[in-house]
Amino acid sequence: VDERPAAVSSNELVEDLFRKEYAHLVSALTRVLGPSNVPLAEDVVHDALVSAMHAWRFGLPRDPKAWIIRAARNRAIDIIRREQRHRSFLPALATTTALTGTIEAALAPAAESVSQLAMMFAVCDPGLNRETHVTLILRWLCGLSPTEIGHAFLVDTQTIDRRLHRGRGRLRQLGRLPDVDDLPDIGPRRDSVLRSLYLLFNEGYHGSNPQDPVRPFLCEDALRLTELLLDAKATAHPDVHALAALFCFGAARLPARLDEHGVFVPLEDQDRSRWDRARIERGLVHLARSATGDHMSRWHLEAGIACEHAIAPSIQQTDWDRIVGFYQVLARQSWSPIVALNRALAVAERDGIDAGRRELIALAGERKLSRYPFYWAARADLERRAGCHTAAREHYEHAIALARSPAERVSFERRIASLGIS
Amino acid sequence: MGWPPPVSRRHAGHARSGGLGKLKEGAVAVPPGQALMPRVAGLDEARRRIRLGAMMPESRSGERAVRSKFMLIFRGGAVARRDLSPSELQAHVEKWYRWSDELARQGRGNAGTALGNPGAAVRGHERVVTDGPYAESKDLVTGSMIFEAVSLDDAVDVARTCPTYEFGGSVEVRPVADPRI
Repeated sequence: VDERPAAVSSNELVEDLFRKEYAHLVSALTRVLGPSNVPLAEDVVHDALVSAMHAWRFGLPRDPKAWIIRAARNRAIDIIRREQRHRSFLPALATTTALTGTIEAALAPAAESVSQLAMMFAVCDPGLNRETHVTLILRWLCGLSPTEIGHAFLVDTQTIDRRLHRGRGRLRQLGRLPDVDDLPDIGPRRDSVLRSLYLLFNEGYHGSNPQDPVRPFLCEDALRLTELLLDAKATAHPDVHALAALFCFGAARLPARLDEHGVFVPLEDQDRSRWDRARIERGLVHLARSATGDHMSRWHLEAGIACEHAIAPSIQQTDWDRIVGFYQVLARQSWSPIVALNRALAVAERDGIDAGRRELIALAGERKLSRYPFYWAARADLERRAGCHTAAREHYEHAIALARSPAERVSFERRIASLGIS
Repeated sequence: MGWPPPVSRRHAGHARSGGLGKLKEGAVAVPPGQALMPRVAGLDEARRRIRLGAMMPESRSGERAVRSKFMLIFRGGAVARRDLSPSELQAHVEKWYRWSDELARQGRGNAGTALGNPGAAVRGHERVVTDGPYAESKDLVTGSMIFEAVSLDDAVDVARTCPTYEFGGSVEVRPVADPRI
């Protein structure tokens, strides 16, 4: 037997380097060439990544990021020189020296977050709907292809292409990507950006694709883009810290959310030692920084709840009183059936199963909940704990019938199976 | 020496004429499931041909096999494709790293070179220079790699494990001519 240890690879690429550089460089080129040249920017960056893949097959360059930037710079200058005969770019690109200088400055790492922020705030345009915001963020700020976006949302590629087309059209009307400091409507746009990032995170945390409901990379991207907002004065806002805190607490729990068979593990059964401590610490820092100003946003409340879960050693030792309190305010601010469901579960922990049951039964008329498998699973859980196994079984079966993925279904089936033993 | 997996055993069969005479049939344990397989050269050959590129020929460092140099010439592949996403491109290049790391682990002394395009060609007595080559992208040479193998079969087996086929590439396997006596 060959007992030599396997050679340690010297070829370790930064995770998602290609996607991240795609986002960086498409934003940077769009910022300097104007939004009507998004297709050109996309082509340039794609070519740079293909040449990187080609040239790196037998070994990595010392600075892969710098290599890609260099390739994109050369390609951009080539194409612009060639196309200048047919159409006019910005005057700053008219001479060779000016062109080279402008492109280099635009692609420099120093301008990275400015460009991506400009892109993010431009695509979250009030004239476009939420789905389009998220689609454009996934395309230009996460570097996903239309097929990959379709896979994430379980939407066909044509629909994604239509959204991208609509987005390109809207962006063209802008004429240029304004820097966030120059945006007159920064407040509403920031709310839109945060809401889209929240959807992006949820798509990673509990997504629509039944075969692949948990995709940590989307959660990572949502957190990365949220923290980008903290780089600029105009966008660094307490709400942003609150959302970043919420994402940190959620992402910290990702390693324990699915078991080795890809089945959802309920909170009470999760192995808390597998939660990511460093992430929780980072969440606590964001949460502390979010506590300024007089505005208590939805993100503050959700982050507060997530924080209580993240720092509790067990279900029993969770501060349910604080959680019920947060849900109370949340329900007053923006009531939704899901908020009410979660509040009822917190009440059950704080005041006893009967109190929780009463609240859950009172929600039976909510149409959205009657189709929501976790509503029925929640009711079943409380019946099981109250010793009413027949009712529990019936509700679990209801949840199974509504389950949207094998990960959900098997998780409910296991709880039915546990009824037989307990 | 441990038991080389079936892939190597098939090489052993082929390589007998190619300098591996020291490996005796009876000297190695036969893995379960292989014992009753008749050692018909043609059958082995057929099995080898239909086997897909998933199996990696194992390191033969334990054997004192005579190795010679071979060159792989890569044509087409991912570089000829327009439709790959950033993550697909990164995943693909990472496969090349895993592949060459594995060959290095086997002590094959592999070293590859990627070729850019287009270059130029110089021809004839007059040294006429032309641009190009502008071959069809699937036929374009995109790189080469020199490595060690015990036989052409062994080299072909290495070529089969290359990641290039994922995106329609092809690989030519050639022995490097040895100028030594």
